[in-house]
Amino acid sequence: MNEIDCAKVRDCLPGLASGRIENHQLVTIESHLLSCEDCQSELELIQMLRAAPPVVPFLLADQIESAVTSSRRPWNRSWWGLSAAAALVALAVGVGVSRDRPEVIQDVVFDFGVDPEQGELWLSEDSFLAGDLWIEGLSNETLMKLLAELEGEGAA
Amino acid sequence: MRDSLRGAREISDAELVEQACSGDDRAFSALVRKHHASAYRVALSITRRDDIAQDVVQDAFIKAFRALGGFRGDSSFRTWMMTVTANEARATLRKRGRWNESSIEVAGPLEASAPDPAEQAVAGQESSRARAMLDTLPEKQRLAISARIDEGLSFREIATLIGSSEGAARVNYFHGIRRLRELME
Ligand SMILES: [Zn+2]
Repeated sequence: MNEIDCAKVRDCLPGLASGRIENHQLVTIESHLLSCEDCQSELELIQMLRAAPPVVPFLLADQIESAVTSSRRPWNRSWWGLSAAAALVALAVGVGVSRDRPEVIQDVVFDFGVDPEQGELWLSEDSFLAGDLWIEGLSNETLMKLLAELEGEGAA
Repeated sequence: MRDSLRGAREISDAELVEQACSGDDRAFSALVRKHHASAYRVALSITRRDDIAQDVVQDAFIKAFRALGGFRGDSSFRTWMMTVTANEARATLRKRGRWNESSIEVAGPLEASAPDPAEQAVAGQESSRARAMLDTLPEKQRLAISARIDEGLSFREIATLIGSSEGAARVNYFHGIRRLRELME
């Protein structure tokens, strides 16, 4: 308790500068600092750094929240999310999908009033319905309808 | 406190993460408000540019939100968020072609061509000068110092942040402090 070496004191200096040191340690450290110029000088440097912390932009938290919210809008979702959603629709309307033989799912396509010539859906190796180009080609209105339909299915 | 959304008891990060995972936007908002400053300081420490750091933090939170389900809780959310931000910052610098730091940064001397931070800092403001000097250290050293002094992280947490062992985190911190003291003399 009486003696403490420089290495231990230096470990504690950031805590000391920010007031996070337990009382019982405080006395030992402070008495060491009185007799050790080297540790005292390091403490001063740490205090200097703490006195000028980087200024965090005032509106940053708001900007982050907006960015996260925008990234979660339906039309910003990645294609696999929509394909997985489309897979649910396929199941909901009872469309048979062959894993071995890719096939066009016309019923699903017609359900949403989309021209089947625009693209295809097929079940990929990872069990997702693939067909991102077809999904990408849909208008926002159609996508919203698709998502509303899915949310209705999910809530049921 | 702005963060105490729901009554007197402060909700833990673990609870907020759980709530955010189940679609509670207010919980995610609370996590953003609690930890964006630490994330920003990490991004700034690595990129040394405020505009890039702000973009990095936004992207890091978007990615963190998407990956929240994979957060295992074996580190604190803050350390995890800071690590996600550090990775995003490095990836951003790589994309911008400004990634030119050595991966071994234990004994890197200042380059002769480095700008003199003393001239840039306001005369007499030793704190600003110390910060400016800190920016001249290699990334791992300045990140270790900032994480220890500004955020109060343990060396184990700093090791996660800089992608090293705990011993290397210590070495980076203490070597950086020693270098800084030399620069300030
Ligand atoms: Zn000492």
